Amino acid sequence: MADCEKNIRAEHHQLLLEAIAQPADLVNYNNQQWELLLRLARRAQLSGYLAARLEKGGMLGSIPLRAANLLHSSLIQAKKQQQSVNWELNRVIWALDGREVPLIVLKGMAYLLLDLPNAAGRIFADLDLLVSKEDLNQIESSLLEKGWQHHALTDYDERYYREWSHEIPALVHPERGVEVDVHHTLSSPLGKLKIDPLPFRKAAVRVQGKDIYVLNPEDMLLHCAVNLFQNNELADDLRHLVDFNEMLQFFIYRQPDVFQQKLIERANQLELGNPLFYSLYFSRLLLRSPVSTDLEQQLDRKPGWIARHVMHYCVPLALLPQHPDQPSKRAVLARLVLYLRSHWLRMPLYRLLPHLTYKFYLSVFPGRSTDTGHNR
Amino acid sequence: MFWKACNFSSLPVENWNGEFTVFQPESGKTHFLNEMGLKILIILDQSPASLDTLCQKLSEYFTLQPDVQFPGQIARTLQRYEALGLIARVKESE
Amino acid sequence: MKVAQLSLNELRALLVGPGLRVKAGPFNLSIRTRLPSLIRQLHSLYSRYSLVEEDEIVEFHVQVIPRRSVRRPFARLIQFEVDGRFPFPPVPLEQALATLEWGVNLVIAARINHFLLFHSAAVERNGHVLLLPAWPGSGKTTLSAMLMYHGYRLFSDEFGLMEPQSGEFYPLPRLMPLKNQSIEVVRNRLPEAMLGPEIPGTLKGTVVHICPTQASIEQSDETARPRWIVFPKWSAGAAVRLEPLPQSEAFLLLATNAFNYEVLGKTAFNAVTNLVRGCECRKLVYSDFDEALAVLNALTDG
Repeated sequence: MADCEKNIRAEHHQLLLEAIAQPADLVNYNNQQWELLLRLARRAQLSGYLAARLEKGGMLGSIPLRAANLLHSSLIQAKKQQQSVNWELNRVIWALDGREVPLIVLKGMAYLLLDLPNAAGRIFADLDLLVSKEDLNQIESSLLEKGWQHHALTDYDERYYREWSHEIPALVHPERGVEVDVHHTLSSPLGKLKIDPLPFRKAAVRVQGKDIYVLNPEDMLLHCAVNLFQNNELADDLRHLVDFNEMLQFFIYRQPDVFQQKLIERANQLELGNPLFYSLYFSRLLLRSPVSTDLEQQLDRKPGWIARHVMHYCVPLALLPQHPDQPSKRAVLARLVLYLRSHWLRMPLYRLLPHLTYKFYLSVFPGRSTDTGHNR
Repeated sequence: MFWKACNFSSLPVENWNGEFTVFQPESGKTHFLNEMGLKILIILDQSPASLDTLCQKLSEYFTLQPDVQFPGQIARTLQRYEALGLIARVKESE
Repeated sequence: MKVAQLSLNELRALLVGPGLRVKAGPFNLSIRTRLPSLIRQLHSLYSRYSLVEEDEIVEFHVQVIPRRSVRRPFARLIQFEVDGRFPFPPVPLEQALATLEWGVNLVIAARINHFLLFHSAAVERNGHVLLLPAWPGSGKTTLSAMLMYHGYRLFSDEFGLMEPQSGEFYPLPRLMPLKNQSIEVVRNRLPEAMLGPEIPGTLKGTVVHICPTQASIEQSDETARPRWIVFPKWSAGAAVRLEPLPQSEAFLLLATNAFNYEVLGKTAFNAVTNLVRGCECRKLVYSDFDEALAVLNALTDG
């Protein structure tokens, strides 16, 4: 029974991973493979990514029409989202109107600004910005003045954001609906893993021809790794590992002799060995990344062997999408382990338990609020 | 202070008997304008202009009677256009 | 092969097992459910639809599943699921069919961008498409149900599916939800129509589904070009009027009501411009269907 389950899982995971590793082979897939692949890719939010690869290779015309239509639809959607976030950035710069606030663009929009290979067809809906803590209020008030609004939040959520998490509540312009997340740190200030944003900000590089910044290549990879393995519960997060691996290959290709060394040195300097270790490890395991195993051996900090074994077992089950018709109980358990781990890493336990309880309460009683301030 | 249009000449415009649809590729938005709304963009595309100059040109083109409220209405339209990214402020008239 | 050729047991085996794979216009659909009442309803209401041919790709996989609620432990609830997601909250069991139909529409609207999706009914007469866009009080479902039995081929009561480059429209004849008063109207006027059960208490009131005619379903691969855009408005006691509508207004109404106009960007801008420029645009006010039919026939005769 257990073996049977394992085989089913292996097969559909293999299908998705093959498609990512060898997009040129997609022209040989039969209809049955396509139908399952399209469902898995949608769950993993990788259908735009696959579509962009096929389009670039001129292969959208060589696959079954129904598959091509769905992929084409995803690609159109992804392009629209990219345009929307790009325009939101344009409007944010306009709203700041020459004020001396250096903006560092993070994540999806940064990949797009640099035209990185993982940007094509990438699905993302938010604009993430990193600024200094001192500039936070200035930006918030400038945007509020020009028509952006805070998402409607309960008082509880608002307090969670401001006191315990690392962001001000997301800002949205009602006419455009794109979320602007202004961060002043790169991880939770209460998390066990302290990340000082200052070295990241200092090393940020200016985008050619624009008055905005992005993280430098090493830091961009480290930030991606931190988000994957420190801040997230990893469920259906394969796309972020794909980001990591694509960027890693690209930067190595651009600086063949030095980049890997720079990356290791930077990780050691910033004490981010653990997330980089896992990102390299799972890129190799799942995405056939050609980076040598020697690389992570040079890290000062590496996870212990128990952690490695637990992660080796749990991470693929969580990262990879479930079979849409045959959900696996083991994957559910693995995801729960990682969910707890992510919250454990982010918050002290005395904070975590009330927060999870509240989230649970909300999931059972949506629309109700424990905010007694208004119910007296 | 002067105003100028942003790449207006590159935007597709369709004329529907004196009403206009304008597509703005950067934002992906379609704007519906009347003749006055379009003329503002055409004037600011030819050369940057101040509010006064703009009002004067519009009054001449549409042969309008003097109206004290007119500059206020145009100023509000300009603010709206600026928020939509159709026009921008410039310091000099170049 | 048609669903009608399946026995109830064969249909149940598909719905409970691998899924009923059925054609819906240019799309293929897989439906799964264990609910006996829904299985019986689909046995009759889907009887005219064709099964997907062996080995063809199915685009949308949906399920209707029983649900328990912590808050209402004794209520019999069901929920619509698509690829592990639940876009609607659970609803009472009686609404299973309505939820399934709305859910499928939602999935099409959310995922399809290789067509421009107008929120509009569409019918065909004399080889050309007549678009009846949705706007408040349009009564487009009732009107298209009636037209379907009076010489028009139904494309859809909900989606105007346009291929943006060619301007060609694609039929998507699905079950149509008649609402409230229009149910009696259709029962009286179209005794031959195949109707589903009365479903009270939905978000849109009481709903009864009407099945497209066999001819409309069988010709659902035959596309056509648009020629008329008529904005209908049902108004009690009004004498029939078919008036010209300014093209700018037609553009505005079509674009702002389309499901994915903004997503398609410049492609949509050009497509709607060409569509409106190439069509006769009218506004129809009516209270009596026979009068409306007469003016629409006159419009679409030439």
